[in-house]
Amino acid sequence: MIYLDHAAATPVSPQALKAMLPYFTEDFFNPSAPYLPAKHVREAYESAKDQVAHCIGAKGVDLVITAGATESINLAFTASHHKSLVLAIEHTAVLAAAKSKKYDLISVDKFGLIQLDDLRRKLDDEVDFVSISLANNELGTIQPLAEVSEILRQARQDRLQRGITTPLYLHSDASQALNLMDINVARLGVDLLTLNAAKCSGPKGIGALYLAHGVKISPLTVGGGQERGLRSGTENVPGVIGFATAATEAKAHLSYHRKQYQEMAKVLHQELARIPIVAQHIENVKHDLNLGISQPIFLGNPKHQLASFVPVCLPGIDAERLIYKLEQQGILVSTGAACAANKGTKSHVLAAIGLSDAEIAGSLRISLGSTNNLDQIRQAAKIISDIVLREYFRVQNSLQGIKRASKLDAKNDSPVKTGTGEDALVENFAPEDNLENSYA
Amino acid sequence: MPKVYLGMSGGVDSSVSAVLLKEQGYDVTGIYMKNWSKDLPGMKCPWAEDLADAKRVAVQLDLDFEVWDFEDDYKQKVVDYMLSEFQKGRTPNPDVMCNEQIKFKLFYDRAIQNGADFIATGHYARVGAAQDIESATAPASNHCSVNNIRLMRAIDENKDQTYFLYRMSNAATAKTIFPVGNLTKPEVKALAADKGLDVATKKESMGVCFVGEVGMKDFLHEYLETQPGEIREIETEKVLGYHDGAIFYTIGQRHGLYLGGGLPYYVVKKDLANNIVYVSRNLNHGLLWTNQLKLENLHLRTDLPTSGKIQVRLRHRAPLLEAAVVLRESPQAAVKDEDVRRPRRRAGTASCPEEATKGSSKLGELIFTTPIKRPAPGQSVVFYDGEICLGGGIVAE
Repeated sequence: MIYLDHAAATPVSPQALKAMLPYFTEDFFNPSAPYLPAKHVREAYESAKDQVAHCIGAKGVDLVITAGATESINLAFTASHHKSLVLAIEHTAVLAAAKSKKYDLISVDKFGLIQLDDLRRKLDDEVDFVSISLANNELGTIQPLAEVSEILRQARQDRLQRGITTPLYLHSDASQALNLMDINVARLGVDLLTLNAAKCSGPKGIGALYLAHGVKISPLTVGGGQERGLRSGTENVPGVIGFATAATEAKAHLSYHRKQYQEMAKVLHQELARIPIVAQHIENVKHDLNLGISQPIFLGNPKHQLASFVPVCLPGIDAERLIYKLEQQGILVSTGAACAANKGTKSHVLAAIGLSDAEIAGSLRISLGSTNNLDQIRQAAKIISDIVLREYFRVQNSLQGIKRASKLDAKNDSPVKTGTGEDALVENFAPEDNLENSYA
Repeated sequence: MPKVYLGMSGGVDSSVSAVLLKEQGYDVTGIYMKNWSKDLPGMKCPWAEDLADAKRVAVQLDLDFEVWDFEDDYKQKVVDYMLSEFQKGRTPNPDVMCNEQIKFKLFYDRAIQNGADFIATGHYARVGAAQDIESATAPASNHCSVNNIRLMRAIDENKDQTYFLYRMSNAATAKTIFPVGNLTKPEVKALAADKGLDVATKKESMGVCFVGEVGMKDFLHEYLETQPGEIREIETEKVLGYHDGAIFYTIGQRHGLYLGGGLPYYVVKKDLANNIVYVSRNLNHGLLWTNQLKLENLHLRTDLPTSGKIQVRLRHRAPLLEAAVVLRESPQAAVKDEDVRRPRRRAGTASCPEEATKGSSKLGELIFTTPIKRPAPGQSVVFYDGEICLGGGIVAE
């Protein structure tokens, strides 16, 4: 199996799993219990929170531990009482949270980068909350948060000068970024930051919300008063231990992983870019076939993109078909956010960067991660381009079939010569590209 | 290669149908019919997962695959019909309506328009030609080939779905393939597993899709206004408890009355005008049983036996019962009894029974030799002559 959907989920790292295990069994105590073994669990919990916080340049007390990024985002939005501004390509959790109150969308350019002018234009005195993801979950686009926070700083100053005291918070969803970027809350200038363990080789169902001093949020769950009363419920001790271990590990290997993913992404770019060239060759042989093969469009801008993201649009292809074809070859890849992909709705992210419906339908999100190596990626790249070509032939053949049928209907003409694309493909593609043999 | 449009629901039956059609050399296009669904929190029709399952199978088999959107029609012709029937205190069967109005009308029409030679679905039923079935007696109506087509019960008696299909038109039946109709469910499952289809182990969907797992009552609560009312014992008129809306109760029902322990009560009567549900502990209460049944909105697929002796099915999977059928002229129908039972042979397609029944609401009456448990008004009763589905009707008040 070659897994290319690390933006959706990551396997828990062996170290993280090992660190968690004792807290399910022998160290199972409620951290709030009065006896000594429970106190030790409390200490382990707080120190794990510190570890997570250190990964973003904060302290443990600045964090509220949650059950994942969605909860962190919902909690963050309780800081907004008037109007929020959110990026048009935010995760649906952010969009849904924003929609519960007054909000407006900030547009992006064709790479998915925030249009700062649009932010400036929409930043009226009613706005008290701005939510901009650090890195987008479909494109991997990294936003210039420091620039955003500078704009907000100036707006705050301007408001105070005019005697307006409405707070103005900057929240960022950094779920995708923790294992690929050196995150520092002070440098980014954020007031709230959402983290997710599941995207960086930690367990699912655990996340955190960073709160700068003075940021006021309201709890969504009340009860025993855990997490400074902001998130009641017995602490998920093994979850936080796993989160801390995974995050610390990721931080330590940041530049090494980044370099690896850049190399892998390059291989994918090169191989997929060959599709029209290979097709051209086949087309020369069977020149009555017009395959309608276009150059793949690599989405986003590599200069402002997480190294692990290779979002690509294959015009004329139904990416969902590719996914099912690829899974048969043991390659797991997705079209976009898993939540959106499952509901049959088109990606709002790809629409926001200006892709047509057909282009959105032809878009794949390849996201690399800890389970990949260069050999795998070379193999996967070949299989993907092979299947893409086969799909072009299938589409072409059914189109020819329709044409042929309608011509035959019209008059008893001899059928249009089509040639079987499949044969041509197998003949002209190098033997190692033959699907059945290339992957065991 | 004959072209077939196959309705693929993402279930094991239509998936195996795809395998079989492909093996038989058809040019198969898989179609997912998107029906209406309502997304309410806690109320979700699993259509997205079903669509993904259907498409996965199609891609695995290298079939073309399309999604056809019938949402608006489905809402109008199936959901609204169902709601209005419930509102009248009746118990409709939306699946029957869906097959008649959507699958074997809209889907069929669109497929034929797109150049299909046949349509196919994963239903357990069979299609046969009258000549083959009634071997010796060659019907006189050879000029009307649709007339010779018979809808027949599936090989797997336990899965036979003709109860839900009796209203599909003869025209559609003539162009329909039911690839699994000759197989048993275990055979279908084994075939799916053999072909490595993931849906081989899929849990069978129960009930009406758009209602999802929450059940009909919660669904109706969203749409119909109801008033709480009394539950009375029919023998004593004593108030035993209260209900949250008489329309939610069906004659014969014994669950969900919340009348406390002891022997169960059965719903025997609904007084919608006064919003009273009548119950009885007496399973032999006269209102629960009947010797005869009035039917309306008859749909006859073919001539009924001249003797009037047929078999009927009162519910999906219920045993076949012997009955005598008498057709009655409905007040507004212009067609005479005689015309319905024995359509005059005229030139062209006008002699198809289909044509004869169209546009008039047919009434009929069934007479049983032994009393039957009374089916609720709005339910379908389906007629058979052995293997052959003759049509059916809807239980009147």
